[in-house]
Amino acid sequence: MILREQSPQDEPKTPPAPGKKWQRVTVAENGQEVEKWIEVDAASAEGWPERAKMRLLNQDITRVDGPAKVTGAAQYAHDMRAPRMVYARFLRCPKPAAKIEKISLEAAAKMPRVVTAVSLGVEETRFLGQPIAVVAAETPDAAEEALRAIEVAYGALPWVLTHEQAVAENAPIAVKRKLKEGEKPGNRVDERKSGDRDAVRAAIEAAPHKVEFTYTLPVQHHACLETHGVMVDFRGGGEAVVHASTQGTFTVHDDAAEKLGLPAAKVRANVQYMGGGFGSKFGLGVEGEWACELARRLGRPVHLLLTRADEFLFAGNRSGAVQKLAGAMAADGTLLALDAEVDKLGGVSRGSFPGQPYIYKVGQSSSAIRYVYTNTDGARAMRGPGHPQASFGIESLIDELAYLAGQDLLEVRKKNLEDKVYHRQLERVAREIGWYEHPHRAKPGAHTEELGVGIGFAISTWGGGGSPACQVDVRIQRDGSATVTCGTQDLGTGTRTYMATIVAELLGLPATAVEARIGSSEYGAANPSGGSTTVASLAPAVLEAALGARAKLYAALAPALKTKPEALSLDVEGLLDAASGKRMSWKQLCALLPSEGLSARGEWKQAHAGRGVHGAQAAKVEVDTLTGRVRVLKMVGIHDCGIPMNRLTLKSQINGGMIQALSYALLEERVLEPALGAALNADFEGYKIAGTLEMPELVPLVDDDDTRQVVMGMSEAAIIPGHSAIANAVHNACGLRVRDLPITPDKVLMGLEKLRTQS
Amino acid sequence: MKTFELHLPKTLDEALALLEAPAATPLAGGQDLLTELKEHLVAPDALVDLRGFQGADKIELAADGALSIGAGVTVAALEHHAELARRWPILAEAAASIASPQIRTQATVGGNLCQRPRCWYYRNEALVCLKKGGTECFSYGGHNKYNAILGGGPSYIVHPSDLAPALVALDAEVEIASKKAARRRVKLASFFTLPAEGDVLRENVLVPGELVTAVHVPAHAGNWKSTYLKFKERSSFDWALSAVAIAARMDGGKIAEVRVVLGGVAPRPWRASGAERVLTGRAVDDAVAREAGDAALAGAEPLSGNAYKIPLTKGLIVKALRRIGGRA
Repeated sequence: MILREQSPQDEPKTPPAPGKKWQRVTVAENGQEVEKWIEVDAASAEGWPERAKMRLLNQDITRVDGPAKVTGAAQYAHDMRAPRMVYARFLRCPKPAAKIEKISLEAAAKMPRVVTAVSLGVEETRFLGQPIAVVAAETPDAAEEALRAIEVAYGALPWVLTHEQAVAENAPIAVKRKLKEGEKPGNRVDERKSGDRDAVRAAIEAAPHKVEFTYTLPVQHHACLETHGVMVDFRGGGEAVVHASTQGTFTVHDDAAEKLGLPAAKVRANVQYMGGGFGSKFGLGVEGEWACELARRLGRPVHLLLTRADEFLFAGNRSGAVQKLAGAMAADGTLLALDAEVDKLGGVSRGSFPGQPYIYKVGQSSSAIRYVYTNTDGARAMRGPGHPQASFGIESLIDELAYLAGQDLLEVRKKNLEDKVYHRQLERVAREIGWYEHPHRAKPGAHTEELGVGIGFAISTWGGGGSPACQVDVRIQRDGSATVTCGTQDLGTGTRTYMATIVAELLGLPATAVEARIGSSEYGAANPSGGSTTVASLAPAVLEAALGARAKLYAALAPALKTKPEALSLDVEGLLDAASGKRMSWKQLCALLPSEGLSARGEWKQAHAGRGVHGAQAAKVEVDTLTGRVRVLKMVGIHDCGIPMNRLTLKSQINGGMIQALSYALLEERVLEPALGAALNADFEGYKIAGTLEMPELVPLVDDDDTRQVVMGMSEAAIIPGHSAIANAVHNACGLRVRDLPITPDKVLMGLEKLRTQS
Repeated sequence: MKTFELHLPKTLDEALALLEAPAATPLAGGQDLLTELKEHLVAPDALVDLRGFQGADKIELAADGALSIGAGVTVAALEHHAELARRWPILAEAAASIASPQIRTQATVGGNLCQRPRCWYYRNEALVCLKKGGTECFSYGGHNKYNAILGGGPSYIVHPSDLAPALVALDAEVEIASKKAARRRVKLASFFTLPAEGDVLRENVLVPGELVTAVHVPAHAGNWKSTYLKFKERSSFDWALSAVAIAARMDGGKIAEVRVVLGGVAPRPWRASGAERVLTGRAVDDAVAREAGDAALAGAEPLSGNAYKIPLTKGLIVKALRRIGGRA
């Protein structure tokens, strides 16, 4: 618990509460680091090992479950099978909104191998592709075919699909809502406002350099390799197992139990492996609810994993954004004023947006954030919700102003960032990308050249803190085996690996000697993996469990060795008794344990976790002005996170963020047909994701200048700046500013044509 | 998908006999057909698998450049034929540009030439467009970024084949067999039809019961250079936004004879005769190439969202001619 802010240098004069002690920690608030004194348990004086002494932590450790994943031995929810299992499929409404006047299921239910066909009971659909009926059959094909035999009479309802349609005069209302007093009906709803807009506008007017542009970002899909869904293993008895593709083991079983009509204690969620979530997989979802409902009705196991089209149409997305930004800069590069009008496009949800001027310091600013409803699938959290959208707006605007003011693109950022961590990180990526040798540092390259090379920068921020949610058990047995257990889930970030690594580090064992058990709601509780909170919530509890187990081990062994527990220590050579200088191997010492071995439970300790992640990325691109091809040549990313639990998986997170951002910058975009009310690219052919040939040289940097001796989650920070850096690099290469993502060849070529006619 | 009967004939004659049945559809690599089945765009009663008999998977290349390619040759086989890559790089380049290695291993030359359009209105089962018996080409007033700028109307699809423009540039003929008629050969250039000329529901002259059995490239005397340059929105795996196929007979530094064919911009491989006239008898530098590009695109009529294909194709012509001239 944070008690008060104190002078960073002096320990508080007030004595700590009994059993507590003062500890100084660094936390981030509003993008800035603050030093604080907090009270921690005196008993947990021990924290993370010193970095210089780390053997496994802060090293490159390959994933312990890598072999299982690459050989296919790892079983995902999709892979689960059970005797008498049925496959279920949803029927989607093909219209953006409709009255379901009649739904006839008889023909479908009578088809060969079909077990049941059920209406979801939807009277009016609210978005394109909303599920309205479900079929269970002996095979997936039979279920698919049966969907086509369901007859539905749709009554017409008006709808809007796009931003343009939604904000048009007298547009149909996409989502009915209660109006505030004096509020006019409409799809655009005010969410929050800040600043004195008139004053800001006046300041912009008076400034030497000013621009006003609209920056738009498309709706992006999570595109998880494994689609959403569950296999509910219920066989008509008194218990069930829900094999779920989820980001939260403990977000599933309660609701599943209720649907199944079983006590929660009789339903176990199993999440050994899951194929990607990126923020879209929390809770049971419509797919899990209906799988449980069908299982209860049939008394049979149900496999309900969404199809790829389902995934694109009703499994969530990253909200789009239309940002009208007006900004001004002084001749010396100081950001003077910014006014932002932001429309979030989250379908039937509100979408995300952190606000402008995002991380930068601006003399004065005002903003109006609104959400615009359409009859499309609701947005869900997606890796760094809202941040990539805000980043694109402000980072683009800064470059546009910097060119007007003739400022160096790197220096102008530092000038408008108070937090020195950004200065350090920006300089690091600048060196790595070759900025100081780059010819276009304050003026873009010429569009008249056939090939132009440009560099762009952008930054990010994230919390990455933890909370007291995890209960971790470490168990040591007489044969020397060690396990670390928690019900948490591994989204692919390497959770299993660092759990094993932390315990192994403290016990002097190789990482492979500790088995990590996760993904069961019967294990100790854990938080869902959202907001990059997993590592900062879980790792401290693992550390506590490991410290506890080690202390118990010393206490158990000391009498037998005729020494004091304080004299004992463990390292790679086993146990050392400092009093006698004697050593004992791990196998030998474990053999001295009682038959039940020993175990210790660890819970979260604030002192082990921190928050306040920064980041900077740079991109180098080549623009071919003959074809409009943007080729990303190199990306460099750096993100601080306190102690890296595993440098290899940390670099993987940075790479993954840069790759997703590259794809967002150049390719990804949901395309809807506003005249016909249809989705045009609800598949991996039309919804293009960057592949191997799009990959640049990727340089993920570990920020070793961050010496905070705590753990924090940085995964989301890594996806925030990359696309902005790429867009800035395109401008830097050839003088063309593309203000709506993705930057596809058609936009580049038509933009260049315009530049040519202007010049 | 609807239940169908699968025939596994052991000879071509047997296959042709089976294809006489109404709603019987030939199946080769299945890379397009299986997708169309799964997307419910077609629902044949019977599939006739063409992979069970010998002879359809041969590549025969003569010293004079004459070439016969069985319809069952896989795209990967075409891509990896070393001698062919030296003689006609255009074919290896076109083959290598197609889809992914997995698909190229299955997909065949015959299937590649006869595949159906990729237009996302056509591929959406719920949208009954002109190509599916409807009354409207939705791309005309819709999202037409990927559609035709040449030869369009009333349908604005682009022909998806990469091998087709390359083979037209080599003046190839297709061999067509059926049970009823004698084998016939048709110039590949006239094998494909424009929507305004023929049946808007089809892209070529084949009638039910007919099968493409081989492709033949005639002998080419002299010093021929060739190249296929395809531009994809996503390099890793995509269709052409535009593509340029060029085969040229060189006489010293000059082009003596040339065929320029465009892909990805028209409902069929588009012979750019204007560009050919510009280039014939000329030594090619970038200025001449730009002139050829202007001539090639002179008749372009872009839709609301695909005018970019004009500068793109011109740019590709410049780059392809650099390759022909050994300048890239």
